[in-house]
Amino acid sequence: MNFDFAFAATTLPTILGVIGTTISVALLSCAGASILGFSFEIARRAGSLPAYLMRFTIDFIRSTPVLAWLYFLYFVLPHWGFTLPALVVGILGLSIYFSGYLAEVFKAGIDAIPKGQAEAAKALGLNRIDVVSFVLAPQMLRNVAAPVGNHFVSILKATPYLAAIAVPEMLGSALDIASNTYRYAEPLTVVGIVFLVLALTIAQGVRLLERKLHGPTNR
Amino acid sequence: MTTVEIFVGIFEGFRVTATVTALGLLYAVPFALVFGVAQYLTKGMARLAITAVIEFWRSSAVIILLFVFYYVLPVIDIQLPAITVAAMVLGLNAGGYGSQAVRAGLQSLDRGQFEAAAALGLPRRHILALIELPQALTRMAPTFINQLIQLIKGTALVSLVTLTDMTFRAKEIAESEYNPVGVYTSLLLAYFVICYPVTVFGRWVEQRIGGRKGLTNEF
Repeated sequence: MNFDFAFAATTLPTILGVIGTTISVALLSCAGASILGFSFEIARRAGSLPAYLMRFTIDFIRSTPVLAWLYFLYFVLPHWGFTLPALVVGILGLSIYFSGYLAEVFKAGIDAIPKGQAEAAKALGLNRIDVVSFVLAPQMLRNVAAPVGNHFVSILKATPYLAAIAVPEMLGSALDIASNTYRYAEPLTVVGIVFLVLALTIAQGVRLLERKLHGPTNR
Repeated sequence: MTTVEIFVGIFEGFRVTATVTALGLLYAVPFALVFGVAQYLTKGMARLAITAVIEFWRSSAVIILLFVFYYVLPVIDIQLPAITVAAMVLGLNAGGYGSQAVRAGLQSLDRGQFEAAAALGLPRRHILALIELPQALTRMAPTFINQLIQLIKGTALVSLVTLTDMTFRAKEIAESEYNPVGVYTSLLLAYFVICYPVTVFGRWVEQRIGGRKGLTNEF
């Protein structure tokens, strides 16, 4: 059996056809993971007991594989009476898995803001909510933009795990072609190249963003 | 089956999980050292070629790499056991991340370290091996520990290429026994009891070397 380049080319349109699913899953999971991660981080700052609980939650999530989370949600949620589409389960799984990492990003982003910022704002008479939303949050966003971008690339690279719970993303469609034609090498090589190009492009974009936000003039 | 029996049943896959991790390290550690140092020392075309190899392993989705190598190698007449392919792919992926930590560690050293050693007349290879690498590797130790955790978690993937690791055992048990909560909670716990001590150890190392943070956005 040889590698059939002509056949490989014919699989490209089918695989690229679901690139939208892959990107939407990654975007929604990144949003979900950011919201969850930010909530963990805010909760962690609410006292010593919440701090302990949140640290344990984050450590637990970070100590368990994404595949185990996907299986857990996929098989346990229906048992508890929540029958969700596999796509939603997948987004939920990636959101939980990456929230543990994003919580650390937000932690670093908040810690990096000089203490004087909040103190000065308070001295000017801003209330707590205003201090957070107009002084801390905008500066935190600048600090976290690049790391969140890097995690977005990681999330994108984790989307093929969803093939394990039958979500029709790019790896899933490549495996479908493979099992229909009994030719595995070609569709898988194609999906590998597509993913590599996609990940490298987005990573390059994140690097440009990083340079724009933390260029010499902003340091 | 009680939950304890399920947990023990899942742990029957520990041997494979541990073997893939250990074999993976045999690929990851040399790759990270050689390519990290090479990227640090070279310039121009040579550096570009080295970066390309690193980026291939680092920027590809590891699950796709596993499928590609598992199915493409036989097509070009390379027959390897699944465990070898899995260890190589997971190891070189981890090694790709590791190489960036090695390079970043070397670059973060004070230039004076190199200059002082050169002024004392040490040859370049001795400067690297005796002055630069020991400091860089110590500095990056927390990052390497994080990557070890990623490698351990990554081995869950081998269940998809028919190796009976802990994740595969969980799926086997789930087929004979309808108890998704018990099975998949046990699966998460099984990884947790392995990775959590490593997390705690990593935090201890991080504190010992002066609270320096590992590169949290690289994993």
